[in-house]
Amino acid sequence: MAAAAPSPAPAPAMSPKVAVSPKAVDRKVVPVVAAAADEVSNEVHVLAVDDSSVDRAVIAKILRSSKYRVTTVESATRALELLCLGLVPNVNMIITDYWMPGMTGYELLKRVKESSKLREIPVVIMSSENVPNRISRCLAEGAEDFLLKPVRPSDVSRLCSRIRW
Amino acid sequence: MAAALTNQLHALVNNMFATGLLDDQFQQLQMLQDSSAPDFVSEVVTLFCDDGERIIGELARQLDKPNVDFDRVDSFAHQLKGSSASVGAQQVKNTCIQFREFCQQRSRDGCLKTLDLVRTEFYDLRNKFQVMLQVLPNVLKIHLTLSIEFH
Repeated sequence: MAAAAPSPAPAPAMSPKVAVSPKAVDRKVVPVVAAAADEVSNEVHVLAVDDSSVDRAVIAKILRSSKYRVTTVESATRALELLCLGLVPNVNMIITDYWMPGMTGYELLKRVKESSKLREIPVVIMSSENVPNRISRCLAEGAEDFLLKPVRPSDVSRLCSRIRW
Repeated sequence: MAAALTNQLHALVNNMFATGLLDDQFQQLQMLQDSSAPDFVSEVVTLFCDDGERIIGELARQLDKPNVDFDRVDSFAHQLKGSSASVGAQQVKNTCIQFREFCQQRSRDGCLKTLDLVRTEFYDLRNKFQVMLQVLPNVLKIHLTLSIEFH
């Protein structure tokens, strides 16, 4: 994967400083700060990717209601940027919309599964369209699950109960 | 006074469900609201209203062009369909589905008529949401607590 190159191995999770490659500094990469209001009663950290502000708010709330820590981003490119630069600590799951402008969720899934650093992270795809081909392609590419939108709390709790954190 | 307002709000929201303006997804959002996120419903509704207004503007702009890019129009209709589905705005969502069919057919007329319809429905819904959220915000919280008990 093209983006895999630059960053050195991320610093261990507890370290406050993250090694950042020189190239990244030139770009406008804003460090991600997890929402202070989150109650972190377990360490599960979910990265939610969706270009829709409405859907980001809903999926974040559903996940936070299950006491997961959530970081939301609005594009797959941004998500990859944060993951590859080690700016999101210890992501335990990625949940992403399928159809987004620029890089799709499917492409994000492929990049994650191609990356030796990221491939162990379960990736869940969400879509408002029930297209059997699409679903099977995502699962074949290594998606953990495929959720139809609008996503409900019951979908997420069913999903999360199956994942071994 | 509070009781009368609560009843009115209750009647408004029930009417929105009964007439198909809202569907079960809105109830899902109501149930997600809790003490750690006491303004969740109003936040999501506000995002939806802002987003919807933006998209409707884009749809009008796109359909105004001499050569309409129907794929682009479709992608905006798809966005609005998605966000309306996520908040439980059933009527707007269904109109967006119609809209996309006209996009598939490359029918500018069909798209323009449906845009008018979706605009009317969206603003009607938005007005009702504004009553819920701006005129009666504290009552809404009481209502949401009560409606969770009733459901």
